[in-house]
Amino acid sequence: MKPFARIILFLCAVMMLTATVDLPDWADPGSPASTHLSPGFIEQGYHETATPNVVTAVLADYRSYDTLFESVVVFAASLVVMLVLRRTSTGTSRIKHFRPKREGRDTILRGAAQSIIPVMQIFALYVLFHGHYSPGGGFQGGVIFGASFILLSLCYSLKFAMQRFKEKMVLICCACGALLYAGIGAVCLAMGWNFLGYAGLAGLLGVTDVMARSHGILAVEAGVGITVMAVMVSLYYDLASGGDMEEGL
Amino acid sequence: MIIDILVITMMITGLVFFTGTTVGIIRFPDFYTRVHAAGKGDTLSTVMFLGAMSLYILRDFSGESLLTFIKLILIVLYIFIASPTATHAIIDAGYEFRVPYWTRPSDKPSNEDDATDINKTMEDISI
Amino acid sequence: MTWDANLLWQFDMLILLMMVICAVAALSLKGLVSSAVVTGAYSFFTCLMWTHMMAVDVAFTEAAVGAAVSTVIIVATAQYINPWSKD
Repeated sequence: MKPFARIILFLCAVMMLTATVDLPDWADPGSPASTHLSPGFIEQGYHETATPNVVTAVLADYRSYDTLFESVVVFAASLVVMLVLRRTSTGTSRIKHFRPKREGRDTILRGAAQSIIPVMQIFALYVLFHGHYSPGGGFQGGVIFGASFILLSLCYSLKFAMQRFKEKMVLICCACGALLYAGIGAVCLAMGWNFLGYAGLAGLLGVTDVMARSHGILAVEAGVGITVMAVMVSLYYDLASGGDMEEGL
Repeated sequence: MIIDILVITMMITGLVFFTGTTVGIIRFPDFYTRVHAAGKGDTLSTVMFLGAMSLYILRDFSGESLLTFIKLILIVLYIFIASPTATHAIIDAGYEFRVPYWTRPSDKPSNEDDATDINKTMEDISI
Repeated sequence: MTWDANLLWQFDMLILLMMVICAVAALSLKGLVSSAVVTGAYSFFTCLMWTHMMAVDVAFTEAAVGAAVSTVIIVATAQYINPWSKD
C-alpha cells in the first residue's frame, strides 16, 4: 500500500507542477483576471458601494451568491458532523489515546483565559464590523469569536462552556446566520430589486443607493459571522467529545 | 539617536535570548527543561523585539505611528500573558501524562519502584 | 505603500522551504498529535506566504482558520484514533 500511495502522490505532484508553468506570473497586469474584471472592481468599487476595502466589496456585494452558499456549505458541514457523531450518553466513554487522567484544570489557565477571552471577543467584533476598512469580515470575525468559546472549553471544561453556550443555542445561531443572509436577499427581492441587490434596502433605511449597499454588506457579514462562529463551536463540541457531550479535550 | 541606540541594544539582547532558547531546545536533556527554555527565552526575546520595533516606529512621531505603537504594545501584553501560560499548560499536561524526567546518571533514583515505574511509562507513551 | 516583491525573494524561498519541510514532517511523524501541530505550523507558513504576496485578507483567514481552529479540531479528533493502527 505504501509504495503505491507514494507513486500516486508523485504523479499528482508532477501533474500539478506541470500545470503551474502555464499559470500567469504573480501580479502580472496582462493576465486575463486582471485585464477584464479587476480594473472595473478597483475603479468602480468605491463609488458603487462606499466600501474602501475592495475584497469585502467583491466578497459580499459583487459575489454575494458565492458567499451565501459558502456559509450554507459551512452550515451543512456542521449538520453532517452532528448527524454522524451525535449520540446520547451511555456512560461508557470511548477510548482516548492521548488523554491523561486529570481531575480539574488549574488556576493559572483559568486566570489567563479570563483575561484573554473578553479581549478576543471584542477583537472579533472589531474585525467583523471594521471589515469595510481593514482586512477582515464575517469569516474571520466569526472564527475568532468561535475560538474564544473553544478557549473557554479548553481552559475550563466542556461542561462549563456548554452551560454558557448551550448546544441548542449553537444550532439556532447556525441557522439564524444563514437565514439572516438569505433574508436580506429576500427583502431586496421584495423591494423590486435582484436577489441580494442591496440597493433595494435604500427605501427601507432611508439612505442613498450607495450607502444602502454599504449597509447591506455589513448586515450580510454579520450573518456570515454568526453562522461561522456557531459552526466552529458546534464542530468542536461534537468532535472533541466524540458525540456524547460528556467530556471534551 | 538615543532611540536608535536603544533599539539596537534591545534587538541584540533579543537575538542573544533567541540563541539561548535555540541552544536550550537542542542541548537540554528532557522534555521539561526543553519546554522551560523555549517558554522563557522565547517570551523575553519576542517582547524585546516587539518593544524595539515599537520604539523604532515612534521615532518619527505622528498620530499614525502612535496607533501602531499602541497596537504593538497590545501584542506585547498578549504575548506576555499567553506564552508563559501555554508553557505552563504544556508542562502540566506532560506531568499528568508522566513524561519521564531526566536524572543525572551518577545518582540513580534511590527508590527502585520509582525507577521501574518510570521505565514502564516510558514504554507506554512511546508514541 | 510601495513594495518591491523581488527585493525579498530570499524570504520567499525560506518560507517555501519551511512549508516543504513541514509538509514532509507532517506525513512522516509517528504521533498523530505531532502531525496535527506540524499541520498548524504549515498553515502558519502559508499565512506568511499570503502576507508576503500582499493578500492580507486571505492571510488573516488562514491564520484564524488554518493555524488556530482547525489545529484544535484536528487534535480533538486525533484523541479518538488509534495511533498504532496500520496506514
